[in-house]
Amino acid sequence: MANEKILIIDDDDDLVHALRLPLEAAGYKVSRAASGNEGLQFIKDFKPDLVILDVMMDTTTEGFHVSLTLRSPEPHSEYKEFSKVPILMLTSIHATTTLRFGPDKDYLPVDAFMEKPIEPAELLKKVREHLAKKQA
Amino acid sequence: MDDSQGAHRGLVDQELVSIVARFVNIRWLAGLGLLGATWLATAVFTLALPETPLYVIGAAILAYNAAFHFILRRILRTKSPNIVWLHRLTQIQIGLDWLAMTAIIHFSGGVESPALFYFFFHIIISAILLSPRATFSYAAGATLLVGATVLLEYVGWLPHFSPLVDAASDLHLRPIFVSGVMLFFVSAMFVSAYLASNINSRLRRREREVFELSENLQRAYSRLQTLYDSAQAINSTLELEQVLDRIVRRTADTMNVRACSIRLLDETGTRMRVAAVYGLSDAYVRKGDLVIDQNPLVREVLGGKVVAVVDVRTNKRLQYRAQALTEGIYSMLSAPLRGKKGPLGLIRAYSTELNHFTEADASFLAAMASEGSIAIENAMAYRALGQLDEMKSKFVLMVTHELRSPISVIRSLLRTMTGGYAGILSDGQKDLVKRALHRADFLQALIDDLLDLAAGKNELGLKEERAEVRLDEIVRQVVERFEMAARENHIELEYRAPERVPVPVCAGMEGLDRVFNNLVSNAVKYTPGGGRVSITMSLEAGWARVIITDTGIGIPEESLDHLFEEFYRAPNAKAQVKEGTGLGLAITKDLVTRYGGQISVQSAVGQGTTFTVTLPLAAEPPA
Repeated sequence: MANEKILIIDDDDDLVHALRLPLEAAGYKVSRAASGNEGLQFIKDFKPDLVILDVMMDTTTEGFHVSLTLRSPEPHSEYKEFSKVPILMLTSIHATTTLRFGPDKDYLPVDAFMEKPIEPAELLKKVREHLAKKQA
Repeated sequence: MDDSQGAHRGLVDQELVSIVARFVNIRWLAGLGLLGATWLATAVFTLALPETPLYVIGAAILAYNAAFHFILRRILRTKSPNIVWLHRLTQIQIGLDWLAMTAIIHFSGGVESPALFYFFFHIIISAILLSPRATFSYAAGATLLVGATVLLEYVGWLPHFSPLVDAASDLHLRPIFVSGVMLFFVSAMFVSAYLASNINSRLRRREREVFELSENLQRAYSRLQTLYDSAQAINSTLELEQVLDRIVRRTADTMNVRACSIRLLDETGTRMRVAAVYGLSDAYVRKGDLVIDQNPLVREVLGGKVVAVVDVRTNKRLQYRAQALTEGIYSMLSAPLRGKKGPLGLIRAYSTELNHFTEADASFLAAMASEGSIAIENAMAYRALGQLDEMKSKFVLMVTHELRSPISVIRSLLRTMTGGYAGILSDGQKDLVKRALHRADFLQALIDDLLDLAAGKNELGLKEERAEVRLDEIVRQVVERFEMAARENHIELEYRAPERVPVPVCAGMEGLDRVFNNLVSNAVKYTPGGGRVSITMSLEAGWARVIITDTGIGIPEESLDHLFEEFYRAPNAKAQVKEGTGLGLAITKDLVTRYGGQISVQSAVGQGTTFTVTLPLAAEPPA
């Protein structure tokens, strides 16, 4: 179970720190990319078992873009091998909109959402859950 | 002015037509009367009258009268009767009448004839119908005709008839009698011509005065009415464009001129831009701003005067004289628009006639301008207020976004720490971190509330999706959420659903949840153990009503007015629960209002509080 690789794509150093500590304490190998593009580059070498993705980075939809690219239905997509990697999306959207985010196969292909601020126990629970699902 | 004179002339002409028509009617009687009188005098009274010529004259009168009758009818049938023709017709009628009269006088006894008196009718008639000069010339003409007849009979060139005196009478040959009768006849003719035309012209003048007065009165009344209507119409909206548009339209219509425009001072106060226009071409409107430094006329208007340009062609003070002439504008009238703090701009009326504007126009435009200034100022204030509100909302939205991000990172970091992921903390450290986390949590709640409030008020903010939702379900879920907390605090919590479900309302699901979450949460929070919180929903004629009643600490009377204000918290609530943003009820009210509903509160300290929310029902769902 341990030694699974998790890629965090987020531009906020402090938040990455808050995520990294509990994940590493739980024995995961954590790596980080600071932008969507960097993340898409990095993923090919790092080959993570799970991706934690921030919704808003430089542009407000950068996170969406990353998830759509990873889950592209194109038969020759360069990310084909990652299409089954679970994606946890971090949001802080609650207070500004009542748009209900839900995983959506076509428009927002992610596996779960996590509301900021991060509750470490909650984070670990969700990560474990989705890694287990992937294995199954 | 020209119009009213024209109308007046039209009225006099109409009268002339009716008088001519009446004389045609009377002349039928005159002709028949002559025939009748001749028959009566010869057959009944056996007077020695030359009956044949008299019958011929009577028939001739009837014949030419018939001709006049037809001509008159033809003239009247045309749309605008030719007045020159009508006058000529009148002259011919009088002329023919006089020839007939002279002939009657000749055949009924010349200087001895009683028909002499009939000439006075004609003098009065011509005084009414014609000018005094024409009346006097007709009097002279009649004198000549009668004088010639009498003279010719006197010298024996014409035969003399004596129907009233015996045949041997030689009265018509006695110079003293003839000259006496003629003297009195002529003087009576001229005196009656003078009196009749004098009285008539006085009557005419009086008539014209009355007509003008009533015309002016009518105009004044109509302008007053317009001013009143305009005041109402102008003030019925606060949208600046609409206000301006109504003013220019009304002004041009009422003053009956080609066009009207409003120019307002720009921010620098050196130029005036067209703000509303009616009746001018785009090319003219686009000609440019009025530059105050280059335009003495505008300076005078801004100084508070109503200024008329009588002749655009010769006025050197106009900035765009050539353009105005191309547009076909020959005179203008400008009045200042003045607000409480100084000049706002000017209103200008444009006419295609030279020297079109009167004193009355000037005072009307001035009145319109002062009425309009108030409306314009109100609309401007309203617009500024709207812009300020929008700016404030945008600012709050931006600031809260910026605040939200670091706070949520701080909380994430602190939680990582309390979770023990950064090494084991001592009890003292743990306590400090918990206190910091507690404060950070509160700050987050405050920022979230602020953001909600700003998003709600900002039209440009992320708009909430509205749909038909089940109010009964939402309230039930909210109540269930608080069941645990109520039980722990020994509070009885009950929900009474309406007699009929579902209850559809058109609103945002999240927003409604927020509304009732706030109200029920407050009720539970401020009700001591052993108390009761009940939520009742009922329906009535298109509305759903939710009543949330508690037996809590209540709200002091002086706080009720401020309850829905942002950041306000009642003192007794503050004493009981230290933390609270004071935004919950402000958000609640904002949401309820946005959904077209109302919220009210009743409370007594120590007894409890009742909030009542009413929301409009959505259209009935199909059964």
